[in-house]
Amino acid sequence: MTFPRFRRFAALLSLLAAGTLALALPAIALAQDKPRVIRISYSGAGTGGRPLTGGTIISTAHQQGALEKEFAKDGIKIQWTFNPGAGPATNEQLANGLADFAHHGDLPIIIGRSTGLRTRILFSYTRFGSSYITGPIDSPAKSLEDLKGKRLAVFKGTASQLALGRILKKHGLTERDFKTVSMDGDTLRAAIATKDVDGGFIAPFDLQARGVGKVIYETGPDPELTSQGVFWVSEEFERKYPDIVQRVVTTLIRVAAWSSDEKNRDAQYKLWANSGTSYYEYQKTYADVPLKWRLSPLLDEYFVDNLKKSIQQAREFKLIRRDVDLNGWLAPQYLNTALKELKLEGYWPEFNAAGKPKLAQK
Amino acid sequence: MNTASSRITYLPPAAAAGHPRWRLAASRLAARALLLATGLLLPLLLLGLWQYAVQRRWLAEQILPPPSLVWDSLVELWQNGDLVANLSISLKRLGWSLLIGGGAGLALGLAMGVSASVKAYVYPSFQLLSQFPVIGWVPLLIIFAGIGEALKVSAIAIAVVVPVTVNTYQGIRNIPRALLEVAAVYRFTFGQTVRRLVLPAASASIFNGLRQGVMQGWLSLVFVELLASSEGIGYLMVWGRQLLQLDIVVVGMLVIGAVGILLDRLLAWCASRLQGWQRNAY
Amino acid sequence: MSILRKLPKLPVTDLRGVVLPLAFLALWYGLTALQLVNTKLIVPPGAVVAAAWQVIGSGQLLAGLQASLARDLAGFVAGSGAGILFGLLLGVSPWARRLAGPTFHTLKQISLFAWLPLLSTWLGTGDAAKILFIALSAFYPVALNTFEGVRGVTQAQLEVAHVLGFSRRQRAWRLVLPAAAPQIAIGLHLALLYAWLATIGAEYLLGSSGHGIGSVVIRGKAAFNVELIIVGMLLIGVVGMALNRAASLVEARLLHWRGPGR
Repeated sequence: MTFPRFRRFAALLSLLAAGTLALALPAIALAQDKPRVIRISYSGAGTGGRPLTGGTIISTAHQQGALEKEFAKDGIKIQWTFNPGAGPATNEQLANGLADFAHHGDLPIIIGRSTGLRTRILFSYTRFGSSYITGPIDSPAKSLEDLKGKRLAVFKGTASQLALGRILKKHGLTERDFKTVSMDGDTLRAAIATKDVDGGFIAPFDLQARGVGKVIYETGPDPELTSQGVFWVSEEFERKYPDIVQRVVTTLIRVAAWSSDEKNRDAQYKLWANSGTSYYEYQKTYADVPLKWRLSPLLDEYFVDNLKKSIQQAREFKLIRRDVDLNGWLAPQYLNTALKELKLEGYWPEFNAAGKPKLAQK
Repeated sequence: MNTASSRITYLPPAAAAGHPRWRLAASRLAARALLLATGLLLPLLLLGLWQYAVQRRWLAEQILPPPSLVWDSLVELWQNGDLVANLSISLKRLGWSLLIGGGAGLALGLAMGVSASVKAYVYPSFQLLSQFPVIGWVPLLIIFAGIGEALKVSAIAIAVVVPVTVNTYQGIRNIPRALLEVAAVYRFTFGQTVRRLVLPAASASIFNGLRQGVMQGWLSLVFVELLASSEGIGYLMVWGRQLLQLDIVVVGMLVIGAVGILLDRLLAWCASRLQGWQRNAY
Repeated sequence: MSILRKLPKLPVTDLRGVVLPLAFLALWYGLTALQLVNTKLIVPPGAVVAAAWQVIGSGQLLAGLQASLARDLAGFVAGSGAGILFGLLLGVSPWARRLAGPTFHTLKQISLFAWLPLLSTWLGTGDAAKILFIALSAFYPVALNTFEGVRGVTQAQLEVAHVLGFSRRQRAWRLVLPAAAPQIAIGLHLALLYAWLATIGAEYLLGSSGHGIGSVVIRGKAAFNVELIIVGMLLIGVVGMALNRAASLVEARLLHWRGPGR
């Protein structure tokens, strides 16, 4: 390189460096007290992988833009990542340090904690739902035992696998009694429609409506058999920005209150239907239990007991290799503060370990 | 692939000088051992780097399993029969696909090579279809054949058919005219021509095609099992990943590599036995 | 047939090759028109054409194609570059051969797609993992063929270079690389095909949320949109063929100085 050319090159380089520094400085300054972005991972995605979901209060919050509104004044952006790979994919994101908050099923987060991922559970939701084993429309099977040795599909590594394990255990069966295949929701629905599998762990309503599926087995709203979702924050984020965590929780609990209100049932279904799963399916799935029960965010006795049982069963079904310690995992203080702030104490009934409400509802 | 630097046997000058035989054997053995040692140097270094990376947490421990855990998982999976069960299922699939795909490919290649009219009708379509990446067929096959064994065997068979057909056809096409004329002079029947001229003359190409077919088949097998399977070695890797047990994923990779090596060696051995009569330079 | 033989020879390609495809199309059209098959699964050709028109018009398919090709190119260039360098090193230096050779040949036996779960766990399902994977797929054929090409340089040629007093750099640039060029070209050709295979495969395996033609096809599969799958597949195949043809042409041009070969 000749000297004049080199001089030009050096000048350009220093200009670039100066520019980068100028842009980086405010970012560095900002990072001290507030994050630039809040990254939320959602263990799931809409039909075909679209970034619109339904079925949880987090989906509602996302579609209503509740968090975006809350943090707009601070200039903090909310970055949503929807993982068609569900829980396992969220675990990988957490391992790579790419998620601050997440909606997660119980099995994946137990798996995560057993391998050393550090999270703090903020609140829960989604309990008491009924589980279904759906089969092709012409299936001769009338019960689970009829499917022994046949192909049974479930999304492995997700809460569904644990729920299936519980159901099987109740009937004295294990996964090994079937030819279990791992499939995500979309693939599973298609597989039932084409009779590729003999049964799948998925809600039947859409398939029934299309005339390609039927229920082989359903649990009903049995508190022993349902799984629950959790919303967590990474320990690192909580350590750095506890006040942001509180604001996120408060906003989401406010949305939860809106969601749990029976008046908003219809509007909520409409929002959820944007995910590609039909309004009809949500209507049938959420019809059996009061919304306040289904969508309760409380970390009550039932939740803790269920979590303990999940951990023990995960170990039993050989889904985790190391034991999981509950100490220091739950962070109920944010939830309690939010309830106090929003004057929602007692709005959601507390349940005891057996799944019965402890106090009279408001 | 000939990895040793040389297999030339030569008469060392020492022998001419009358050194004892065991000395020569020992020195040759030592040379071989040294070669082995140098070859192992890099892998050991990489292993050390891996262990170092795990200890220094270059990647989260959940996604970078320590070598010891991988070894333990390998032993465990071997002992509880999971590994053998899944591997045998995969190999069975490969076997069936080779039979079907290889047979079809041989028949097609033979037909096209021997009969000009078959070639005229079939070859253009074949050429077109063979340039489709095999992987591209899979979603369509899934829609039509579902995700059962039919899908996997058909997908892998397609991957096998293409190289086998191409090589068979080329092999037959390259038979020197002179040989065909000799066969005509001797008034060979069609069957005799095929049996005593075409097949032996094209055998090198045909075998090459089979070899490539096996490799392509193995490649497609891993892909199809990763995509949609309830058993097999690819499924084992999916299972490991879903449960955040990356060591199982690595075990799967190692086993796949081992099978690849075995297949390669087996085919090379077959090639040397079948082609011994050829006076090739290589 | 004998009548056809009496006709004057037409200076066009043998039309008999068109018979099979035409027959296939006719069968396809007939089966769907007569409703002899489940038209949800085996969609009529007309529907495919209509879907193709619509989807290409919406730009979705072409955008996906662009993204895929960009990734393909990036991975291909990275992998081939590394492959040529490594192959050169292996070919020229016996020490490199002894040290890295066995590892290289052993790692080669790990079927390509077996790398993908690990890579995508480490790098996520975004472009980084895909490009690295594509580079890996291109690396091996190029490295192997470069190695073979360099090994093909004869002792006599080396002696001539020595006599002419070539420096190290000149030896590499004016002797080794040109001598290995045809083999390298074969390697690059193979790498191009493998890279496209890897691009599509990675998109199928790494899910429907990415950009790319493979992701479009997977989305179609999830939504049970058979027309979309067929259109996507055809496009993938066409691109594969185009790449193959382009590689052959480039190979012929670049190596024309070798004179009429085989």
